[in-house]
Amino acid sequence: MNKVKKTILLGVFVSQALILSIIESWIPIPAPVPGVKLGLANIITIITIMFFGFREAISVVFVRCVLSSIFGGGGWMLFLFSISGGVLSTVVMSVLYKSGRNKFSITGISIAGAIAHNIGQILVAAFFMKDLAVAVVLPVLLVSGSIMGFFVGLVSGFLEGALRRTRIFD
Amino acid sequence: MGIVYLIGDYMTKKFAVIILSIVLCIGVLFTSCSYYSSNSYETQEFLMGTVVLQRIYHKNAEMIAKEVNGRIAEIESVMTINKPGGEVNLLNDAAGEEYVNLGKDTLYVLEKARQYSEISNGAFDLTIGPLVESWGVFSNNPKVPSESEIDELLKLVNYKDINIDLENSTAMLAKKGQIVDLGGIAKGFAADEVIEIYKKHGVESAMISLGGNILTLGGKPDGSPWTIGIRNPRGKDGSYIGIISVKDKAVVSSGDYERFFEKDGVRYHHILDPKTGYPADTGLIGTTIVSDISIDADALSTATFVLGLEEGMKLIESLEGIEAVFVTEDKKIYVTDGLKETFIFRDESKEFEYVEKR
Amino acid sequence: MLKKGDLIILGFAIILIAASFIGVSIYKSSGENARKIAVIIKDNQEIKRIDIDAVSEPMEITVLGEYNDIVLVEKGRIRFKEADCPDKVCVNTGWLTEKGDMAVCLPNKTMIKIEGQSDDVDIVTY
Repeated sequence: MNKVKKTILLGVFVSQALILSIIESWIPIPAPVPGVKLGLANIITIITIMFFGFREAISVVFVRCVLSSIFGGGGWMLFLFSISGGVLSTVVMSVLYKSGRNKFSITGISIAGAIAHNIGQILVAAFFMKDLAVAVVLPVLLVSGSIMGFFVGLVSGFLEGALRRTRIFD
Repeated sequence: MGIVYLIGDYMTKKFAVIILSIVLCIGVLFTSCSYYSSNSYETQEFLMGTVVLQRIYHKNAEMIAKEVNGRIAEIESVMTINKPGGEVNLLNDAAGEEYVNLGKDTLYVLEKARQYSEISNGAFDLTIGPLVESWGVFSNNPKVPSESEIDELLKLVNYKDINIDLENSTAMLAKKGQIVDLGGIAKGFAADEVIEIYKKHGVESAMISLGGNILTLGGKPDGSPWTIGIRNPRGKDGSYIGIISVKDKAVVSSGDYERFFEKDGVRYHHILDPKTGYPADTGLIGTTIVSDISIDADALSTATFVLGLEEGMKLIESLEGIEAVFVTEDKKIYVTDGLKETFIFRDESKEFEYVEKR
Repeated sequence: MLKKGDLIILGFAIILIAASFIGVSIYKSSGENARKIAVIIKDNQEIKRIDIDAVSEPMEITVLGEYNDIVLVEKGRIRFKEADCPDKVCVNTGWLTEKGDMAVCLPNKTMIKIEGQSDDVDIVTY
């Protein structure tokens, strides 16, 4: 794939991820703790890992986090939370994906990614607020993250099939 | 990043699992075992005839809290009519006689109070002083004034009688015996001033409650909004009927439960209707206003309480960026459209009904 | 769909969730975090600090001032029992049992409070 095409496709991925995170912010989730979310943007991260690789995925995540905190507001803290969760989850998912698709299904990888995301977020929150009490929300986040991760994995699987048929990435 | 990339390429499943385990275990270990104390600072102080509670997230929180308490005490000393001295007392003493020089703070609050008296068509009236004094609702010996006394005093209650000269920083009451009472708005002003102090010191997350008048700065340090319980007007132990989540907002309530006394089996509360001279009796038992600026919320909570559900709702809907929760005597809860998304109806007493559609 | 490695992830997720639940419940019920400390404040001065979970016999504390308040402490709870102030708001507040609960006698400038922050809401407007 030539460089221009790749750049364009990654740009499209970033904007899609951005749109998904905006749509996500419109859907209210009746959760008892902050931080519970659908993680729809993770679909794009998974797809990027599949069709490009770790480095590209990290770039997409990074740009998405920067842009969404510029557009969506929330400030420096929220950016740190989302970037830390995003990076850790991308690392974990890339490692699992590289180590062999025949060993892990996309759903499994997605669940692991969601869990890593939550843990990364909490670690950074605890670090910056110098207060590990924030981790009391971790059980709830992990359970919801696993469930969301499952569905995000399913969707990513369907999307992968559809994208492969388009042959855009050949 | 490059290293991780390489690891990804060559690692076997076993290694992947081990690495993953280590990363995740560290997370769990941290959460389970260690514990730092929170860096939030909380303090309370008796000021402005109520309890002032602050929660500040900042390394110099204690010092900031002290400065805040000093500022509130200063505002109190200027605007009070319950203690001698102060500019409002001077204004009242010179009623019907002469213009009085006033400081910037008093002029601002006076002008705001006059505006809200006008907007609410006198449901909130800054010249309610003579009635408040006669009922003694804030004194230790409240009483029910005679009908003729109330009729006499009603003649003195009229917000149009306050003349404010912003250019010369002076003001005057038209008739002798008139009394300006900023009790329904001064706490709101104080809260706004406090937020400015927080901002000046670079605080990003803090909350202050002046006897239930709440103003929040930012959200909580983790970015989530502050959750604020709306007190059950008929509950005893501080129970509440609903929860709203806010950032950078003022939340102020008025209700017949705050101060009241009973005489011959009748319950008299402290919010007087400037039109009748008696405690407001329009079917509301509690109102809560949410706005950006605390002084607005403070004035409007009193005004809407006096106006009642229909009129109060109309007033709120006519104003930009102001939301409200109304609780009626027949235990129904009404919420303006802008709050419906974040309002959580939670009634432990099971006595109230949330009316979503009117 | 499900592959062998998925079981590892699943198992890991379950262990992690269980561990975090246990960790949090230990954290919540351990040490300083769980103890309920009540403070009595008069004229902006703290005059007494009591670990109300450690109280075995009910006890009364009299706070003297312009008006007088009697504070009653029992195991795990505290309240204004009697007051000779005119409004009796403090007595009507009833028992304080949870962290962050507060009762105030304005005329006497007395306040009792259980230290800490409520799990439920940050603050109540009234």
